[in-house]
Amino acid sequence: MDISKFKPAIVYTIYIASTPEKVWQALTSAEFSRQYFSGFAIEADLRVGGAFIARAPDGSVHIDGKVIECDPPKRLTVTWNVNWPELVEKLGPTLVTYEIEPAGETVKLTMLQSHDRTISDDILSGGRQGWPAILSSLKSLLETGSALTIPMKPPERMLAALKAMGIKTPM
Amino acid sequence: MDEVFKALSDPSRRSLLDRLHLRGGQTLNELCEGLAMTRQAVTKHLAILEDANLVSTIRHGREKLHYLNPVPIHQIGERWIKKFERAKLVALGELKRRLEQEES
Repeated sequence: MDISKFKPAIVYTIYIASTPEKVWQALTSAEFSRQYFSGFAIEADLRVGGAFIARAPDGSVHIDGKVIECDPPKRLTVTWNVNWPELVEKLGPTLVTYEIEPAGETVKLTMLQSHDRTISDDILSGGRQGWPAILSSLKSLLETGSALTIPMKPPERMLAALKAMGIKTPM
Repeated sequence: MDEVFKALSDPSRRSLLDRLHLRGGQTLNELCEGLAMTRQAVTKHLAILEDANLVSTIRHGREKLHYLNPVPIHQIGERWIKKFERAKLVALGELKRRLEQEES
């Protein structure tokens, strides 16, 4: 995959009072992700080409991706493909990159969501709504030991836009 | 959090955030287009927004791209909005939007 063709559509940054190693572990392990990511389990085979999956609490595969770049504990890029029929065919692959940098006594975590084509605001509303909640909850978990319980569901405008493109959404 | 409120207290900086909200990933040149501010002033405002973590920047090839980073604003919301209020606030916001659309 030629990742130079991808341009970030969403770039979010959060500072966390933690270490790069702990942030990396939280991003790549089910034990942590279940707490800050609405019960979803991240199952990552951390080598280039390895599987990167987010499994829903009911056991189904929600994100079905592969590891593209892996430089622990600094940089991880994965394909972040929502496992809905026709979605990747119609939207192309989605890349998610995490950059982890030490910043004084804290860690600067940057999340980039990139695409190889222009994606409408309606469809991007899913990521724009979801990522700040996920990142805030991750920060809370690492700093205080408990994650935030933020109810999350896909925005109606995103579901409507996906349906209009012929993508079968489960909701 | 002081930095966030200070950064948001200036109308020029809010208008830069509005422009990034409309379209993420703009260069300094793109952000300056059609603005009544000097390039120098825009650079200064962007630095304040970046220090408050309201703007994220990345290097993309030779360009520096700017993105609105809503994470600190989300954290302000989390601090003062209770879980059960969220749905009501979304409904109220939607009602306001529709009523104001009908009028215009």
